[in-house]
Amino acid sequence: MLEIKNLHASVDGKEILRGINLTVNAGEVHAIMGPNGAGKSTLSNVLAGRDGYEITQGEVIYKDENLLDLEAEERAQRGVFLAFQYPVEIPGVSNIYLLKAALNAVRKHQGLDELDAIDFLTLVRSKLELVKMDEEFLHRGVNEGFSGGEKKRNEILQMALLEPSLAILDETDSGLDIDALRTVSEGVNALRSDDRSIVMITHYQRLLDYIVPDFVHVLSDGQIVKSGDKELAKELEKTGYSWVNEDA
Amino acid sequence: MKMPSKKTLTDLATPFANVTADLGQHVAWLKSLRLKSLVQFNKQGLPSNKHEDWKYTSLWSLSQQEFTHKAEESDVSAEQCDQLALLNDNYRVVIIDGIFSAQLSQLDNLQDGLTINPLSTEEGLAKAQPDLGRQIDITKAGFNALNTLLMNEGFVITVDSGVQIEKTIEVIVINTGTTPNLATHLRNVIVMADNSQATVIEHYIGLTDNVSLTNVVTEAVLATNAELNHYKLQQESSNAFHIATLAAKQGSKSQWKTNNISLGAKLARNDVHSQLLGQQSHVVMDGLYLANNEQHIDNHTRIDHTVANTTSEELYKGVLDDKSHAVFNGKVIVHKDAQKTDANQQNQNLLISRGCEIDTKPEMEIYADDVKCAHGSTVGQINEDHLFFLRARGLDEVSARSLLTYAFAVDVLNRIPSEEIRQALSAVIEQRLPQGGV
Repeated sequence: MLEIKNLHASVDGKEILRGINLTVNAGEVHAIMGPNGAGKSTLSNVLAGRDGYEITQGEVIYKDENLLDLEAEERAQRGVFLAFQYPVEIPGVSNIYLLKAALNAVRKHQGLDELDAIDFLTLVRSKLELVKMDEEFLHRGVNEGFSGGEKKRNEILQMALLEPSLAILDETDSGLDIDALRTVSEGVNALRSDDRSIVMITHYQRLLDYIVPDFVHVLSDGQIVKSGDKELAKELEKTGYSWVNEDA
Repeated sequence: MKMPSKKTLTDLATPFANVTADLGQHVAWLKSLRLKSLVQFNKQGLPSNKHEDWKYTSLWSLSQQEFTHKAEESDVSAEQCDQLALLNDNYRVVIIDGIFSAQLSQLDNLQDGLTINPLSTEEGLAKAQPDLGRQIDITKAGFNALNTLLMNEGFVITVDSGVQIEKTIEVIVINTGTTPNLATHLRNVIVMADNSQATVIEHYIGLTDNVSLTNVVTEAVLATNAELNHYKLQQESSNAFHIATLAAKQGSKSQWKTNNISLGAKLARNDVHSQLLGQQSHVVMDGLYLANNEQHIDNHTRIDHTVANTTSEELYKGVLDDKSHAVFNGKVIVHKDAQKTDANQQNQNLLISRGCEIDTKPEMEIYADDVKCAHGSTVGQINEDHLFFLRARGLDEVSARSLLTYAFAVDVLNRIPSEEIRQALSAVIEQRLPQGGV
């Protein structure tokens, strides 16, 4: 599904990613953990195609294409989904408009017709249940006046609707209380499947109690310095990140 | 009434030398009003950039034109008129090339307590007489004096006490382009008696790229507890000059909700003025301007809070592309007796290109001490985080920019109570933003 090879990326001439190697197979859930400043957000932004990063070396192969050659929207249309750490508020663009435009962009790429209004609404309603959101949210501006938990649920709603092949969850647990964390996690777990890969980027182990990963990687100073299974995350929880740098 | 020759006029006013206004030559009050205006116009002419209110808007290009004041016959079909109209199944006043069209207007079966007449009729003049000229000051603005000198047509609406008009009144002013360089001077009067309610749309349309001038003054009077929803949509041709004054006097508990949307014209200037004269009167003064190419759109607004307990809300938004230039100058004046005034004024601008220019100046003059007033202006660009978010959801860059621009602009319609009108205006704005620009 995804193969990151020796990826180096800089911002304003400063190298943030310094040779990332990672292989994610279909159906796997990978957690990437690391201290602040390790390059976690840079990695998710580079994968999603945000401007402002210079790729100095390496490649990212996704479904036999070099992801880095594609614009952000082309990646999205091919099934790459980034759940944002800080979802933006866009007053004036209704949630339902966004969902419809996004779904149709993906369908168009797949050579499918646009859904008609009734089919679309039926589909959206079924996804709303998954993240326990009220239909009223559809008609509000995108994330406008939403609480932190509602914004994250809205991200998962978009993911549920778009059914991506590769989902990158950037600090999805940040700013969530336990109830919201549970709801969001249940949503994500419901979306786990054999043909969908998930990369979770997180600072804390607590998310991994709810979404149990197949693999855990530790990112430090722009490199993956340790990989293991879910036990590695528990170790990190006990000892913190300080040992990571010493080891490396 | 005949205008003076070029020799006696100031340079900027020369296109109006020797023009004759036919209307009401034997109507004594009108003749006397025109004579007063002539004295004023000879004194002031048209404003140059030295005039503070015209600092950023030059009338030089207007002064270089030669205008015709006699329209040739033109042909607009009922079908065409239906297509141009914003709304259907409403009262409709149609003015073609400065001349009222009885045929295209829809004024049958008016609701009791409502009158709608063209200014160019005896009834129109009689209904207008008590209020015409009383909301504006011809000693302060050359265009108002010029309009008073040359006005030949317009609409006059009166609503009787306690009457709520159910249908919207749409006034469609079409410049067909049949007569090149046609100048029209329109005067509209809306008189709302106490406890009355009505919705009026002024809709200006140009059908060709021909040069034209529309010089219009709309005066509104709102008696106690009257409510007037008033919207203006300006879609004149890309070579048109559009100069408009919109002025209202508001009695106690009256509500004037106005929204002023400027999309067309090469040079457009709006002066919008509310005088809150009665306690608990309220004005909503919103507006939108979308400018591209070398368009110049200037909005000057003024709200006078003259007595206690009055409120005003104002939001003007602008989107500028290419080498366009917009001016916003909003004055809110809280007079010394206007305690407990609540006034909020905002001007927000979105710049799409590097070559465009905005001069924005929100102003408040406050002479009372117990008031709640806020004002501000912003000038910004498309938010890159918003853009990336939409692209990360699969929208291509052009669609994403277009959507964000639309969302910015359409926000200005929020305070329009009628869903039907809001949707019709949203559709007009959406059409104007097809490719991410304006």
